[in-house]
Amino acid sequence: MIFEELKDIARQPDGTPVAAEDLLQLPVFKEASPQFLKKNPNATIWRHFKRGEIVCREGEFGSTAFYILEGTASVQLASPLAHVKAQGGPSGFFGRLTSKLTSRLAARQDDRREEEADRRSIPIDAPVDLAYDHPVAELGPGELFGEMTCMNYYPRSATVRAETDCTMLELLRNVLDVLQKSKTFRAQLDETYRRRALDSHLRNVPIFRGLTQEFIDHLRDRVELLRYAPGQTICKQGDASDSFYLVRLGFVKVSEDYPGGELVLAYLSRGDYFGEIGLLGGGGRTASCTALDHVELVRISAEDFRAMVQQFPEVRAGLEKIAAERQEANRERLRMVRSVPLERFLSQGLMEAQSLLVLDLEKCTRCDACVTACADSHDGITRLVREGLRFENFLVATSCRQCRDPLCMVGCPVGAIRRRNSLEVIIEDWCVGCSLCAKNCPYGNINVHSFTALADDHEHPGQKKAVVQKKATTCDLCTEQAEPSCVYACPHDAAHRVEPRDFFAGTLGQRVGRSERL
Amino acid sequence: MRIDHTHKGWLIASLATFGVSALVYEVNRGAATTGASMGGTRLGLGFGVIGFAFMIFAGLLGARKKVPVWRVGRAQTWMRGHLWLGLLSLPILLLHSGFRYGHGLTAVVMTLLIIVVASGIFGAALQHYMPRVMTREVTMETIYEEIGHVRAQLLEEAEELIAKATAVPEKAAAAGAGDPPAASTATVAVLDGASPLRNFFDKELKPFLEKPGARGSALGDAAQARSAFVQLRTLVPPALHGAVDDLENICEEERQLTLQSRLHLWLHGWLLLHIPVSLALLLLGAMHAFMALRY
Repeated sequence: MIFEELKDIARQPDGTPVAAEDLLQLPVFKEASPQFLKKNPNATIWRHFKRGEIVCREGEFGSTAFYILEGTASVQLASPLAHVKAQGGPSGFFGRLTSKLTSRLAARQDDRREEEADRRSIPIDAPVDLAYDHPVAELGPGELFGEMTCMNYYPRSATVRAETDCTMLELLRNVLDVLQKSKTFRAQLDETYRRRALDSHLRNVPIFRGLTQEFIDHLRDRVELLRYAPGQTICKQGDASDSFYLVRLGFVKVSEDYPGGELVLAYLSRGDYFGEIGLLGGGGRTASCTALDHVELVRISAEDFRAMVQQFPEVRAGLEKIAAERQEANRERLRMVRSVPLERFLSQGLMEAQSLLVLDLEKCTRCDACVTACADSHDGITRLVREGLRFENFLVATSCRQCRDPLCMVGCPVGAIRRRNSLEVIIEDWCVGCSLCAKNCPYGNINVHSFTALADDHEHPGQKKAVVQKKATTCDLCTEQAEPSCVYACPHDAAHRVEPRDFFAGTLGQRVGRSERL
Repeated sequence: MRIDHTHKGWLIASLATFGVSALVYEVNRGAATTGASMGGTRLGLGFGVIGFAFMIFAGLLGARKKVPVWRVGRAQTWMRGHLWLGLLSLPILLLHSGFRYGHGLTAVVMTLLIIVVASGIFGAALQHYMPRVMTREVTMETIYEEIGHVRAQLLEEAEELIAKATAVPEKAAAAGAGDPPAASTATVAVLDGASPLRNFFDKELKPFLEKPGARGSALGDAAQARSAFVQLRTLVPPALHGAVDDLENICEEERQLTLQSRLHLWLHGWLLLHIPVSLALLLLGAMHAFMALRY
């Protein structure tokens, strides 16, 4: 027990509300208002877990955080680390001919995907990250987990199991909110973070891998740990660049202002960083950054940032490369916005898409050959529904639009959804099947499918058991094939995969031209 | 499939094939048919083989559609081949027959060929025009298989609207039971106002939503429905006009679903004739070829 004062009162049965007087004996609650605690008697409860008992499971929705008082708990990903892989049929002439795709779960070592995230760790809702190779970590007294679930109602990112008999406090959001404002509590959490997580957090960013332990130790006490409330501005476009930020918790929206509105450039989650463009270029901020939810950042001052890039040329080279790529992507986006003045096109969100499946309704006989082909290509489960928004005589079918503003990526508790440079949205191996991305996708284009997989059997250590594992899937553009199956199988030349800007601008341009001539 | 400028190549190739075939037929007709029917000559046999090959290729489209993911050529290429080679098979086989109808099996095969080609042309014309009609006329189109489900939802939605619209005055009536006479009079007035809506739903709208294809319902016709709703608005208090608007929209959606079903039948119904007759044609055509060559 880290707090000896609670030794006697912690004997209260599991699930019993913690009395305000008892809470006030805890140093972390010292700054809390006694009145508030008395008015919210059920907002904190005692939890006792026997060794081996599950505290929370990954993928489950919840609204509480846990603060460990006594004992140790392991935090791990129980789901097999694997992504959904669509595979072609058997090799050989006839195998290639049939081109039937089979979906199965494949681990990174079995199927190294092009542009695979070079992440060695999995971000979770705890003070520590999990290693990809061995996704298990230990939490001990004084540590808080489930903060994102509690503050933002995201699904649980990992499974927590009591390794010894544990005593914990289960907190509701209002109590956690009060604790977040307590200097003592924050200082304790920050200290834990600096001691346990900063090191791995920095090293998990590929371009920072070259940093020496000495430099990280130097940064350990110099970095500032900042918190932002939902909607709060972190930095504004045009402000002077004075810091580099690493996202520790939550989601940050990066946007640019342009005539007519705001353009979202990216959503950053745990492990992502920003602020390097301004610092490297020596100018002001090129974009505004806003906290999308409860956000925690690691701030590295301009002075330390400059020392870092001077001392580690490979870090500088890596940052410059990324900055150039980001700037080019931003320029491309702005070019697109300026060249697409189609109000309806924009209002239907089609501009967001990088690639659309459109059906020419004047050619389509509604035979559903595209849907059948999609299902046949993907184990009988279609990823395409012949229904969606209409634009002129085109139906934008429900199929992944590879949006430029990918809302599906906001909120993933383990940062498992991202996209390749080819724009295809991919789901990382550590997807826990919580289906939040499916709910977030405004176009209903992400589905959660069940697979049977082998996972560690905790009741019989060393053995495996069959489990039904849910994994998110989305249209993969049939990248294994030269052409998407839906387009290939349309007998009426009605289905097309198009780059929306060129397609709609061209089609509309032609019509305008025709009507003007008339 | 829409027959547009992208078919130019197929059109030219088909016309050229037909032209060359007709020329060869015309040049060799006299020599080839001396003392024998055209089909039995080498030239006639040649036309027969080509025509039957075209028929087989056209028939393979059905098989191609059964394996949509097989990479054996894009489905639209198969469709174009189906349309043009299938069409071409008729004149080529007419050349094969020397423009004679024949007797027995030959006559049956020829009849089937004419039916298949005619139904095919009819179907191609439908699939050329109908998608445009459907796109223009059915703006609330849904997936055909979902129509039954959507209809059930519309009925449910309409029932909820009626329940909600009539529940308010009923509540008021209940509350007004012990109230002074003035309040009771107002409640009765509102109740009276809602009753035409309930009557209209029970007698007109509900039967229409339950059996949308049934003859005799005024709501199945857009103009009659419009006047029915205009009349209804005059009978109910202004507070219920919103509900009447919603019911009118439901009615419109129902009519669109009916139209979609009808157009869908036109789009695909002809296949009920075309496909079985095509299969019979291929089978009897093969029998005809076997018997002609064997005997």
